[in-house]
Amino acid sequence: MEVMHDVLVIGAGCTGMRAAIEAHDRGANVGVISKLHPTRSHSGAAEGGINAALGNTAADSPETHAFDTVKGSDYLGDQDAIEIFANEAPGDIYQLEHWGAVFSRNAEGKLAQRPFGAAGSPRTVFAADITGHVLIQVLYEQLQKRMDEGMTVYEEFFAFRLVIEDGRCTGVICWDIMNGGVELITGKAVILATGGQGRMFRATTNAYACTGDGLAMALRAGLPLKDVEFMQFHPTTMYPSGILITEGCRGEGGYLLNKEGERFMQRYAPNALELASRDVVSRSEQTEIDAGRGVNGSVLLDLRHLGAEKILTRLPGSRELAMTYSNVDPIYEPIPVRPGAHYYMGGVECDNWGRTQIEGLHAAGEVACVSVHGANRLGGNSLMETIVFGRRAGYSAAEYALAVTPGSSDGEAARADADRWVQGLLDNTKGERPWQIRDELGQSMLENFGVFRHPDKMNSQVGIIEKLRERYYAGVVIEDKGRVFNNDLTQAIELGYMLDIAACMLQAGIARKESRGAHSRPHDFPDRDDANFLKHSISHWRDDGPVLSYQEVRMTRWEPMERKY
Amino acid sequence: MKVGLKIWRYDAKTGDRALREYEIDAPEEATLLDCLDIVKDRQDGTLSYRKSCRMMICGSCGMRMDGGAVLACKTRMYEIAQRGHVPVISAMGNLPIVKDMVVDMQPFWQKMRAVEPYLQPRYDQAQEAENIVPKAKMDVIHKESLCINCGCCVSECNSMESDPDFLGPAALAKGMRFVGDARDGKTIERLERYSEPHGIWDCTRCYFCNERCPKGVDPRDAIAKLGAEAMKHGIDRDMGARHAKWFVVSAKTTGWLRETELVPKTQGVVKAIKEIKFAMSLLPKGKVPPPFPPHVAADIHESRQLYDLVKEQGRDGALGIVQGERALMHLEHHQGSGDGHAKHPYGAESFPLPHLPDATPEDDPNVAALLETAPANRSSRVIGDTVPAVAGAGEETTT
Repeated sequence: MEVMHDVLVIGAGCTGMRAAIEAHDRGANVGVISKLHPTRSHSGAAEGGINAALGNTAADSPETHAFDTVKGSDYLGDQDAIEIFANEAPGDIYQLEHWGAVFSRNAEGKLAQRPFGAAGSPRTVFAADITGHVLIQVLYEQLQKRMDEGMTVYEEFFAFRLVIEDGRCTGVICWDIMNGGVELITGKAVILATGGQGRMFRATTNAYACTGDGLAMALRAGLPLKDVEFMQFHPTTMYPSGILITEGCRGEGGYLLNKEGERFMQRYAPNALELASRDVVSRSEQTEIDAGRGVNGSVLLDLRHLGAEKILTRLPGSRELAMTYSNVDPIYEPIPVRPGAHYYMGGVECDNWGRTQIEGLHAAGEVACVSVHGANRLGGNSLMETIVFGRRAGYSAAEYALAVTPGSSDGEAARADADRWVQGLLDNTKGERPWQIRDELGQSMLENFGVFRHPDKMNSQVGIIEKLRERYYAGVVIEDKGRVFNNDLTQAIELGYMLDIAACMLQAGIARKESRGAHSRPHDFPDRDDANFLKHSISHWRDDGPVLSYQEVRMTRWEPMERKY
Repeated sequence: MKVGLKIWRYDAKTGDRALREYEIDAPEEATLLDCLDIVKDRQDGTLSYRKSCRMMICGSCGMRMDGGAVLACKTRMYEIAQRGHVPVISAMGNLPIVKDMVVDMQPFWQKMRAVEPYLQPRYDQAQEAENIVPKAKMDVIHKESLCINCGCCVSECNSMESDPDFLGPAALAKGMRFVGDARDGKTIERLERYSEPHGIWDCTRCYFCNERCPKGVDPRDAIAKLGAEAMKHGIDRDMGARHAKWFVVSAKTTGWLRETELVPKTQGVVKAIKEIKFAMSLLPKGKVPPPFPPHVAADIHESRQLYDLVKEQGRDGALGIVQGERALMHLEHHQGSGDGHAKHPYGAESFPLPHLPDATPEDDPNVAALLETAPANRSSRVIGDTVPAVAGAGEETTT
C-alpha cells in the first residue's frame, strides 16, 4: 500500500501547526490529524504572552533568558535545549510577526513586551491578554494557505493508536468523529503534538480536550515518558471553575492579597513578590489558605490600583472572564483565585530535534519533554516552546521522511485489531458509565497529588488509582451506540489515557524524595537534593504497570545554586 | 439549583427530530455547557455537542437557545432557572445539522478560505526584525482579530438564509482583518474580490450578527468598513455600492437625497427604463419629485463642508465607520469619585486596601493616588469566609 503522507502531525495546536508548516515548506507532503478543528485547540486559551529576548522594552539577551529558564526549572532543565530555545526564540517571533500575528505594539511601533514571573527583563511579547488566540489564528491562516498547496487536514479525527512496524512508526489509527469508523492514516514520519493531560485534575485551566492522548499512545507503544511527576499549578485560576487568569495581570502590576489585604508574597519572595516563579507563588498561596488567611479556599488578585484604563486596554479578556465566571469586575473588586493544574512539564522523552527512541516518531510541545522546563516552567515559555520545537520537529521529520524508503508492511493488521477493540467497547453493556471514574480521579488527584505532596496521601492515591483502573478495565458502558459524533466513545477512551499516566505520575512522585520545582514535599523532604535527584525520572510501561528509572540532566554552563526570588 | 432544558434532538441515522425535556440539579454558577454535561453524564449519554475550552475562546460550543445563537460556555443559567424558564436548545442555523447540537461547519470554513485568509505581505520580509507598525494602525483591526470562528453570526444571518452562497459575516470580518492590516499588500485585489456577487453588498444590514457575536467582533461593522474602503478605492460597480454612492453625491450637491435619480444611478439607465411604469404609478402620490430643477437645500454649504471635512480627516474609508461601538459598551463601567451613585474601587464596603505586611496602604503610590479620589465615607468590607456571589451574572453584565 502506498504511504499516504511523508509527515503526519497529530494535534493542531500551536506546536502541531508550526510543525506542519515547517515540514510542508521543506517539501514534504503533510497530513495533520486533530480531534478538534485546529482553531479550537487549547493553545488558543494561552493569555499572557510568549517569551523572547528582543530587548524592545529594556536591555535583554538570550543568555539571560536561558539563565532565567534554567533557574526557573530548579536546575532540572536540559541546558543545551534551553540555550537553543532562548537563542532561536527572537527569530521565531519575527517570523510570526511577518506572517501577520496581531501583537500589541509599543510607542515606537515595535512589539511591546511585558514583565512576567521570574524573568530578569520584560521579555514577554503579547497580544493584550489573548496571545494564544492570536497565534492560533495566524498559524491556521498559514495552514490554510498550504492547504491550497496540497496539505491535508483531518479535522475531528481522534487518533488513538500508533502503528509501530519493525521498530518504525509508520502511521496512526484514528476514529473518524464525524462519520464514525476506524481509519488508518500512514506516514513515513509522525509528529506527536497532542498537548497536556490537565483534565486528570478537577481544578484545572485545561480544556476538556487535554487528556494526555499522545502521552498515553507513546507510553503504550513502548516509549519512555520523562519527569512525569512535574505538574505545574498556576497561581491564578478562578474559583470555582479553575479558569485561567493570566500571569500578565501580575506582570502589569497586580497584587495578591490575603483576607486582611496583606500582600503576603513579601514573606515568601521578598524581591520578586508577586512575580516570583509559579511554583513559589502557588505554594505561598496554598500556605496562606491552609493557615486560614484565605477567603473560601482562595486568595485575592487585586487589580484595582492599576486603574480602569490599563485594565481595559491590557487585560480586557481577563476582565471579561472574571465578570462572566466569578461575577466580579476587577476594576472594583479583587478576583478570587487559587492554584489550579495548568501545565505538564513531563512528557515523551525526545532530543533537541523532537526525535524519540522510535524511528520516525517525533514529539514536540507540551506532550514532549526535551526538557526546557525541568521541574517548573516559566510563564510565557510554553508558547515559545511550541513554536521553536514545533519548527524543529517539523524540519527533522521532513528531512527523515524525504530520505527514507517506506517499509513493506501496510498497517492493515493493526487497523483491524483496533477496529475490533473499538467494537468491543461499543458492544459492552455491563459495568458503570465512565464519568464517575473520571470525577473520582480528578478529585483525588487534586487532593493527593496537588501543590503539596504528603507521603501518606500519595500512597493512598496509588491505591485509589489502582481501584479506578480496575473499575475502568472491568469494562465501562458507552451509552451512545451510534457512529456519528459519538463523543461518549471518545471520552471513554480518553479516560483510559489519563488513568495510565496518573499511575506513572504517582510512582515517580513517591520515588523522588526531595522538593524540586513543582514537586513539593514539605512534610518529609522539604529541600532539594542535588546529590541524589539532580536527574530525570524515566517511566516505561511494562506489562501491567509503570517501571521507573533515571537519566542524567544535560548541563552546559550553569551549576545548580540555591533558588530564591 | 434546578435547571430545565428542552433539547431538540436530531438522530443522525434516521434524520428524525424530537424535542426532549430534561431536568437536572446544577450548581448556581453553572453555564449552559455545564448543564449539558450534567445531562450527558447522568441522564443521556447519547447527547452530542461540541465543547473544549469552556472559557469563551475555542469557539466550539455555538448553539441556539430559544432561537438565538449563544456560546453555551458563556451562558449562565442562574437567572433563567430562577425565572422558572425552560429554554429550548437546538443546533445553530444556516448550517446542516449532523447530530443534536453538532452542525457541519465545512460550509463555514470554505467561505473563510474563499477570502484568502492569510497575510499577503507588502514588505520585503528578509529582515531579521519585526515590521514597525504604529499602534493606532494595528488598533484598526483589533475587533476583527477577536473572532473565534464560533459561527454564531452565521447562524443568525438573514442574507445567508436566502442566499446560501453569501460569504457571510464571519468570512467578511476576516477579510476586513486583512484589508485593515497595514502590512497586507493586496488591499485592492481583496476589495475587488469581496465586492463580487455574494459579497459585501449582499448584506441586508439586519445587524443580527453584531447582536449575536459573543466576542464583540461586530461583523456588520466590518462589512460596512469593507464597503467604505471599496468605495474609497473606486471599486463601486456593484449596485449596492452605486446606491450608497448616490446618497453621498446627492447629499453633497443638493443637501437632499434625489430619489428620482437613485434608481438609474443604482441600476443603470437601461434597467431603470423598465421601472418607469412603476414610477408612473407613484407619481400621483407625490413620491416622484421632478428631477429638474433640483431642489437645493438652504444651507447646502454645511453639507459640503461636512463632506470636505470627512475627506480631510481621511474618514471616507473604514475610519468613517464607528469604531468599537459595541466594544465600548462591552467595556462599560462607572468609575467615579464616589459621590452620587458612581462606584469607586476603594469606596464604601470595598475590599480591604492592599498593603505590604510591614507597611500601610498609603505607602504605595498607586494605592495612595487612587485613594485620593475615594469618597469620604470609604470603608472596608469585613471579609468572612465567603467569596462574592457567583450567582446572577446574566448575559447583560458581560455582553
